[in-house]
Amino acid sequence: MKMKKLLCVMLLGCWIPLHGQIKSEDIKSFTLKNGMKFLVAEDNSIPNANMYLFYKVGSRNEYPGITGLSHFFEHMMFNGAKKYGPKMFDQTMEFNGGANNAYTTQDVTVYTDWFPVSAMETIFDLESDRIAHLNIDSKMIESERGVVLSERSTGLENSPWRMLSEAVNATAFQEHPYHWSVIGYESDIKNWTKEDLEKYFKTYYAPNNCVVVISGNVKLEEVKRLAEKYMAPIPAGVEPKAIHLVEPPQSGERRITIQKEVPTPYLILAYHTPEAMSNDFYPLSILSAALTSGNSSRLYVSLVDKKQLANTVSSSFGESFDPNLFKIYAVAAKDIQEHQIEEAIYEEIQQIIAGGISDQELQKIKNQKLMEFYGQIETINGKSNNIGTYELFFGDYKKMFDAPAAYSKVSIEDVKRVASQYFKKSNRTVGVLKSKVEE
Amino acid sequence: MKHIIKNIFTVFVALMFVQTGIAQNSQSEFKLPTYVKFTLANGLTVYLMEQHEVPLISVSAIIPAGAIYDGEKSGLANLTASGLLYGTKSYSKSKIEEELDFIGADLNTYASKESAAISSKFASKDSDKVFPILKELLMDPAFDAVEFEKEKKRVLSGLEQSKLSPRNVINAYWDKFMYGSHVYGNPVSGSPETVAKINASDLKAFYSNNYGPRGSAIAIVGDFDARAMKALITKMFGAWKNTGISATNLASNPIKPMDAARVLLVNKEDARETTFLIGGLGIRRDNPDYVAVEVINTVFGGRFTSWLNDELRVNSGLTYGARSNFNSLKNSGTFSISTFTAVNTTQPTLEKAMQVLDSLHVHGIDENTLASAKNYVKGQFPPRYETAGQLANLLTQMFWYGFNESFINNFQNNVDGLSLAKSKEIINKYFPKDKLQFLLIGKSADIKKIAEKYGSVIEKDIKADGF
Repeated sequence: MKMKKLLCVMLLGCWIPLHGQIKSEDIKSFTLKNGMKFLVAEDNSIPNANMYLFYKVGSRNEYPGITGLSHFFEHMMFNGAKKYGPKMFDQTMEFNGGANNAYTTQDVTVYTDWFPVSAMETIFDLESDRIAHLNIDSKMIESERGVVLSERSTGLENSPWRMLSEAVNATAFQEHPYHWSVIGYESDIKNWTKEDLEKYFKTYYAPNNCVVVISGNVKLEEVKRLAEKYMAPIPAGVEPKAIHLVEPPQSGERRITIQKEVPTPYLILAYHTPEAMSNDFYPLSILSAALTSGNSSRLYVSLVDKKQLANTVSSSFGESFDPNLFKIYAVAAKDIQEHQIEEAIYEEIQQIIAGGISDQELQKIKNQKLMEFYGQIETINGKSNNIGTYELFFGDYKKMFDAPAAYSKVSIEDVKRVASQYFKKSNRTVGVLKSKVEE
Repeated sequence: MKHIIKNIFTVFVALMFVQTGIAQNSQSEFKLPTYVKFTLANGLTVYLMEQHEVPLISVSAIIPAGAIYDGEKSGLANLTASGLLYGTKSYSKSKIEEELDFIGADLNTYASKESAAISSKFASKDSDKVFPILKELLMDPAFDAVEFEKEKKRVLSGLEQSKLSPRNVINAYWDKFMYGSHVYGNPVSGSPETVAKINASDLKAFYSNNYGPRGSAIAIVGDFDARAMKALITKMFGAWKNTGISATNLASNPIKPMDAARVLLVNKEDARETTFLIGGLGIRRDNPDYVAVEVINTVFGGRFTSWLNDELRVNSGLTYGARSNFNSLKNSGTFSISTFTAVNTTQPTLEKAMQVLDSLHVHGIDENTLASAKNYVKGQFPPRYETAGQLANLLTQMFWYGFNESFINNFQNNVDGLSLAKSKEIINKYFPKDKLQFLLIGKSADIKKIAEKYGSVIEKDIKADGF
């Protein structure tokens, strides 16, 4: 019930130590002989804990024919192993007061368990059973196909963004596996076999391809004991083959149009940008905030408020293993053509390339990043998710504690430089979804 | 499938009961932290809870100014709540946005069915910047006409867009269908036709008629000194005057019980799936069986292994998910089963959902299933009240629905106290079994024949104005 302890607070760019701060030393780490790494954050604010298992496999590990298999596999992980047969994983967890979910991205598959701390041994037993002895049952494959087809369809039914975003990715990436969506092609969902799943399991679901993060009212020694008992006996697997596909540089603007009945056009502008480990990650993240974070951001003020060209505008730039896309999203206001929005966005981008952003803006975004950071580690779930994300995408969970400082180091010159380097016409893909397209 | 569940559970029962014992011990310490509550001379109720582990403050305010007071101007409460941010006596809209953005503070205003609310989160060092804004937008909003006209255009487009997604609008259709002309049927968002007619002076009038300290509450949780905060709040909000708050309590008007099975079929021409709800009237938030109903609903449709999800998703692959929910207000509530499925599996999915409901009434639940649901509900309870924002919201909910910390502190005991015999009563009393109401959003041409099997059909088109 008590709130979490926090790291530090940044006042006008300097670090002031505070009462009850958590430091990177407070996160304990150990690695089992089989290569499974554990990160533990003790936190007794509520009588609960969680376990987040990050597997380094996502849709970037797929190829045409098995697109969507990582996500489908995520579903199959709940469908029975040796000790706990079909349905028993969920039934046992819920009987013990626990709940779970999982998510798959282009890069990773993450399994999330939330439970009263008294249930931790059961959780270890359940997780180790399915990592060591998943039983891929043909009947379960068939019913799960229906579930995933419904998941795919309900995503398309309820948001035009899904359709447009998939088309933009498919256009911007011609060779790299970010070309297809995480959910996969409908025809692949209907086609993959038990053998495909078994091969995938063997390749990617080994303890050495997994990082486990546990936060909550736990004791490190107890976590170690349970890890030794349940996870250590699972043999290490062969290191999966690295993904060798590299997207060639884009040398000219690409455009894609989708027809769908919508009141006004939907627009995505996408620029190729580097992976999380790049030095440009933090300046790009600040650039994204300058464009769309809050109603005082540049694109909101210009497009939504002053010119009233768009109803909403937002952007996304996140961490990824391989170079990915910086996207800007907008929905046209009534009677506005998509090209009017496009031009207005280019105008704002051009201003940043020419003049950078102001000191005031930069400081605003640094303040926002710090508050965002507090929000991310305010709960035990936010903590686990963040610790795992930094460990996988930035190579070390300790980088999480450096992030506020990394943001505070970014200069106006850096923001200007990344804007001019990546926001080039030849580097962009423009996606438009609208009712009326030329026949 | 329930037989398999029984078999599985007998294997683990011994171990599980030992573990739940431990869970009870550790969770019995899960108490609401101490707080102070006081009422200003003008009637404003204030809650203060100190939490010093992080240098942040969360504020939550609740005002009796929800969509139930919309009258003919559907959407007015919602527009008024968001209009609080279009500038005040001494801050323009853009000044408010710049000030708050600069310090990374969040401040949201919105209306729901019964009330309007403000929530805010900021660094405690920024209190002197945020509180003056909060004070002015509550006590001196300007409802600038130019800003409102811009917002109105965005809202009108947003209303059209939201109809693209059945999931976004199905609850507005449902409330209208269930509550009819009662004010609980009022859609919070309004509709293009009604919103188009609203202007800034309507917002001003709605504000003067419905916003004031009496009947409102503000909760502040976080890193501050309660004595100093009490002085600050008393000084700031003590001057808030009650104006023409007149509202007769329309929400207390009786709600007509369902006298026949009905189907509302909403045509969506390009639907690739059918999204539907099945249900009836539910319970009020102050129902003494509120917690017991939550436990039983957990078994029926409130978690992954619930009977609905197990049958419709796990066993048959008809949908990505199926659940059930009691949505409770001060004077009434609804119950609904909700799911979606491909157009061509609409009929079997409806059938299965009905079978699961029928099975709840015919077979009831057994000891092990009840034990599992109790453990689950207790185990998942603490994370609901983990952050200062969640606690501030809880305090205003306590104010609004008239409950106190015993809801938190006795939750464990209340859950444990539910007997098998009582669970039968709960099922009988609160889970509808006949005169069921159906709401289907999908392609009418393909599903109308199916709809007709379940009751008299009322047809609408999703593109038509309103709900």
